[in-house]
Amino acid sequence: MKSKIGLMLKKELRETFRDKKSLSMMLIIPILIPLMVLGMSALFENQMKADENKYKTIGIAYEVDEVEKGILETLGIEAVYGEVEDLSEQYKNHEIDLYITKKDNAYTINGTNRTSTSYASALVENYIEAYKQYLQTDYLKDKDIDPDEVMNIVTLDRNITEEENFFSSYVTVYALLFIIMAITVSATYPATDTTAGEKERGTLETLLTFPIKSKDIIVGKFLSVSISAAITGFLGLLLMEGALYLSSNMFTIYEGVNLMLSPLNLVIVSLVILSFSLLISGLCIAIASKCKTFKEAQSALTPLNFISVFPGMIAFMMEVKSSRILSMIPFINVTTVFTDLTNGIVDWLNIALMFISTIVVIVIVLWLIIRQYKSEKVLFTN
Amino acid sequence: MLKVENLKKKFIKQTSKNSKEEFYANKGISFEASDGKIIGILGPNGAGKSTLLRMIAGILEPTEGSIEYDGMTHEKDEIVIKKSLAFLSGNTKIYNSLSAYELLRMCAEIYEVPTNEIEKRIENISKTLEMDKFLYNRIENLSTGQTQRVNIARCLVHDPKYYILDEATSGLDIISSQIILDFIKGEKSKGKTILYSTHYMEEAENICDECLMINEGVIIKRGTPDEIKEYTKTTNLRDAFFKLIEGGKNEK
Repeated sequence: MKSKIGLMLKKELRETFRDKKSLSMMLIIPILIPLMVLGMSALFENQMKADENKYKTIGIAYEVDEVEKGILETLGIEAVYGEVEDLSEQYKNHEIDLYITKKDNAYTINGTNRTSTSYASALVENYIEAYKQYLQTDYLKDKDIDPDEVMNIVTLDRNITEEENFFSSYVTVYALLFIIMAITVSATYPATDTTAGEKERGTLETLLTFPIKSKDIIVGKFLSVSISAAITGFLGLLLMEGALYLSSNMFTIYEGVNLMLSPLNLVIVSLVILSFSLLISGLCIAIASKCKTFKEAQSALTPLNFISVFPGMIAFMMEVKSSRILSMIPFINVTTVFTDLTNGIVDWLNIALMFISTIVVIVIVLWLIIRQYKSEKVLFTN
Repeated sequence: MLKVENLKKKFIKQTSKNSKEEFYANKGISFEASDGKIIGILGPNGAGKSTLLRMIAGILEPTEGSIEYDGMTHEKDEIVIKKSLAFLSGNTKIYNSLSAYELLRMCAEIYEVPTNEIEKRIENISKTLEMDKFLYNRIENLSTGQTQRVNIARCLVHDPKYYILDEATSGLDIISSQIILDFIKGEKSKGKTILYSTHYMEEAENICDECLMINEGVIIKRGTPDEIKEYTKTTNLRDAFFKLIEGGKNEK
């Protein structure tokens, strides 16, 4: 004899997979994730290149020789020559990105802590370094000394792998948060359909005459909505990994960074997707089953779409660090775990606290729905 | 045997934006239904027929009173009672995205029909109700009459002892109504107990062994159709009903 929960689940899944709207919510939204990853990466790359090329107008308050002119030209610096007072005025008016003064052989970079000044400053340092090297080499040659013997006694190579890359963690966390949002949207439709929709269509009365305990009805509905939500989540994760792989090969901003999730992170993220699917499905069913009509349920569930993502998004933007307490707060704990993982941190206690708090919320929500389905109020809200 | 005693149902009605009012849809209904009988529950819209049948089917909880099926109650033996029941109303909807076959199979499994009997039962019911041509079609593609036949079929699949039929012919054409009436007669001959609510008095007169005339939540007369006609000195249940209502008004 088949279990009643199994029969309910089979019936619910049949209805969900045969409903075009539920199916499209489940499968189409994840397709937006790779588009978002690639789009954000392209945007960052263009911005970076624009920043590098944009801030190169330098004021020079001294006379330059031919060598300096050559270096300035090679580095693409647009030199503006003038008196200190004039250049200072031009800097204030944002006409130049910084200006350089010189006393004897001492150069000074002048400006404030504007972003444009810091980009231009890096260019000026290169110019000064190149000119210094030229003068030193020239001096040594005059003294009949091989410059290589003096200047390259000590060499320096950079062999630093970037553990934290601003762009990679930004794109990965946002893609993961987008998966969370997709799960919420995907759970909303079947949850509405299986509760308020069933009430509106008149099939709920039929269902309540069947010899099935309300517990079995609810668990069947809950599992069916959770499966739909989890399918969206895992499809989103798969497409996100594909998009990250493509991005790491396409964009220079990710050079030296392993953009894709490690196998361990992939397992943890999969578990987070699963637990979040269960949580959001329970909440959606709890809210929608209190509504009389499909439309009313959809309106009631709209805030949940925002609540599921915005607290976490704000926490990420404010660079809130993970903590024991935050790990127990639904919705925010997902973001803190994702942020930790993308920064290479695996805090098992925080992860465990997130799962435990999620399970507690799911149990409470299910208990409340089962109680509601035992009462005739589920049929006659008012 | 089904035994209903002093059944009352209170609802709270919103009368205006800030005020609510209590009202009783059933005000103490008692009756018994023996095996193999068709009991007609007759009355106009709003008389309390559907509330009464929903309480008997276990969908609504009575405010007061008791319902016993062969000594069992919904409170203690909910699942056993529901297995012996079939509830069908004019408003009963079925799952449109399933095919008739899938629905019947699902119902048979829910009612725990032995696995080796399921196919045979579906085949027999399909033949009896002439469903062969659309058995594997989705319900959403069926006509109203065909859908109602599927609805009857899902009531038959677990071979229940009690049928609760609430305005089952409401809104149906003459052919579809006749299918339901034939089905009721057929089940009666098998010894099944049938509670049949309708506001079509002629229909009730033809098939009911006993009638409960209900108005404003109370039974105003109980008896066989002939007894009621004799009591009211009328020739049909329709006139009898009007006479009973008028009598009630005069008494008031």
